[in-house]
Amino acid sequence: MEVMSKFLIASILMWTVPIAVLYGFNNNLFPGSASVSQESLTLWSGILAVISVNVVIVLYIISAMKEPSSDKHEPDPRFLADAKASIKQQPGTTEVDSSSDRAKLE
Amino acid sequence: MVTSSSSWARALLQISPYTFSAIGIAISIGVSVLGAACLIGAAIKAPRITSKNLISVIFCEAVAIYGVIVAIILQTKLDSVPQSKIYDPVSLRAGYAIFASEIIVGFANLVCGLCVGIIGSSCALSDAQNSTLFVKILVIEIFGSALGLFGVIVGIIISAQATWPMK
Repeated sequence: MEVMSKFLIASILMWTVPIAVLYGFNNNLFPGSASVSQESLTLWSGILAVISVNVVIVLYIISAMKEPSSDKHEPDPRFLADAKASIKQQPGTTEVDSSSDRAKLE
Repeated sequence: MVTSSSSWARALLQISPYTFSAIGIAISIGVSVLGAACLIGAAIKAPRITSKNLISVIFCEAVAIYGVIVAIILQTKLDSVPQSKIYDPVSLRAGYAIFASEIIVGFANLVCGLCVGIIGSSCALSDAQNSTLFVKILVIEIFGSALGLFGVIVGIIISAQATWPMK
């Protein structure tokens, strides 16, 4: 199912990308991360990790909105069968009701 | 054995700051995952599951990810300090700063998860009724998930100053 696979890929990305950014910052894998002081290292790594999570979320939302929406809503077949069965029962009960109403009016 | 003065202040001073830090790290990730799990399944009532219904689930998961990020950041802040300096005021301050940052993140993520879960369930139900309502409720949900973001930002800023004393 395409929906499930997109969801799973987005979930896995959401987990791995911020943790990878964190470890990359702490172990100086990024080009600019060796020259910051200890205190601002946590600030930068935290903020970049949070931003990366939000970027993944935004990409998922964009790809979800682009999915073609099915214009014809097909109703659930079982629900449809139950509805039709209740309509077939209905004319019998309405006759009984209208005769009792006429009796009350008199 | 009767001590001369036993008060809360003395008791707090005798507890090692590492205790607070370790408990706090556990609280941050535990409580935020609890918040993410609340009402995460409420979006799957409509029989046609499209990706739009799963957006609220993604928001809930982001809340749990914030807790994990902060827990990892804080555990890199735990340095070892020599025995003589454990109860130094600077190290006490570092322990309390880490504890405070974790409580902030944990409880902000808890309420954010609750909020996003409730909004997400109503979003899925209203989308099943009328497809034009989806985008409007999604905007509300984005504001709701900003609550967790505020908690994470404040927690990271507080914990950035938590430095243990040099050896």
